[in-house]
Amino acid sequence: MSNRRLLAFIDALAAGRRPPRFRADPADAPLLRTALELRAARPGEAQPSEQFVAELHKKLAAQAAVPAAEPRPVRPRRGALMLAAAAAGGVLVAGTFAVTDALDHSSSTPAATQAPSASALRTGTFVGSGNQVLGQIVAFRGKPSWVFMKVAVPHYDGRLTCELQAADGSFVAYGTFRVHNGVGQWSKTISSQVGALRGARLVDSNGSPVASATFA
Amino acid sequence: MFSRSRPSAGRDKPQPSPPEGGSAHLRIVDGDTYTDWESVYRDNIDRLYRLMYARVGNRADAEDLTSEIFSTALPPLRLASSKGEVRSYLLATARTVLAAHWRRRLGLPVTSIDPETDLAYLAGPASPDGPSDAPERADAILQALPDRYRRILELRFLEACSIKETAQAMNVSVANAKVLQHRALRMAAQIAGELAS
Repeated sequence: MSNRRLLAFIDALAAGRRPPRFRADPADAPLLRTALELRAARPGEAQPSEQFVAELHKKLAAQAAVPAAEPRPVRPRRGALMLAAAAAGGVLVAGTFAVTDALDHSSSTPAATQAPSASALRTGTFVGSGNQVLGQIVAFRGKPSWVFMKVAVPHYDGRLTCELQAADGSFVAYGTFRVHNGVGQWSKTISSQVGALRGARLVDSNGSPVASATFA
Repeated sequence: MFSRSRPSAGRDKPQPSPPEGGSAHLRIVDGDTYTDWESVYRDNIDRLYRLMYARVGNRADAEDLTSEIFSTALPPLRLASSKGEVRSYLLATARTVLAAHWRRRLGLPVTSIDPETDLAYLAGPASPDGPSDAPERADAILQALPDRYRRILELRFLEACSIKETAQAMNVSVANAKVLQHRALRMAAQIAGELAS
């Protein structure tokens, strides 16, 4: 990495411009972090402009006006642990998966069993083996309950399998979805208790773990 | 349409009313529950923006990332969730969005979202001072520097001077100002590390 690129980044930061991309050296991370910290301490610049708040509201209102695809629950099949095919392109994907029994009645190990959560909305962050943040998973309790996830896995193209973790710590296959150019999102209904979920993990087509998440 | 509600969702909680005439209004049924996407937006936009600004240090990126957070988080959001749950969800989204931003921009996570301390900020009262003790920390770092190092960083980062203006103010050449700035930042980073430990 050249000092010229580092300097260009810092120049832009100091001037309030969008800093340019470059491949930073990890050794420069503390310096960059400190420059950001000093810049963020500049008085009077941390609040959003009224114009930005209004324009984003307008954009979100337009987004809200477009009906989103609803998850279409299908009749759960008892005991099956098949992987559901996911539609490509990051749209909401239909299908209730028959993980209900496996998650709700999985073999219990009392010492390791987590108390069910009463939350209607549970959130977890997918973290990779290098502790890098790779995405998020959200479980919504309702009728139907459903799970939504969005991931950004650098340099990955292909299918990922999501496995949900039951209260006793065991994992049950939940479904697969496609990641294009490192990015993928997916949702699906689930008929198990959202409160009984402990977490989730993603594995690639070779069965190697990519990321895991624990519900807060 | 993310302002929708599902009739059967959250039976134990007040249900949101559908928007009237296509225009939703801020409606809080009780003090702990969001009732429509607009109430989620209005209650969190200011603090989420400030949080992102503190992490990226410039308005253009902070606006883009804040937009991405809401655009990502709102469509799948089910209402009748508690404010705390929604804020946790927004923060998890912010964490993912920020991590992807730094991967694209620098290839390494220069700053990140802390799920605990940042959630406390998001849940707290709106503050003009931003999401952290940033001004106090910046001041502590600057005060620990030698005079010339402190001055050049003040001129560049707090007083928005260009490198040329800074060089003139400090009576040095532009090339010397660049070297001085680099050395000052290195020392400031070291001090910041010591303050954090």
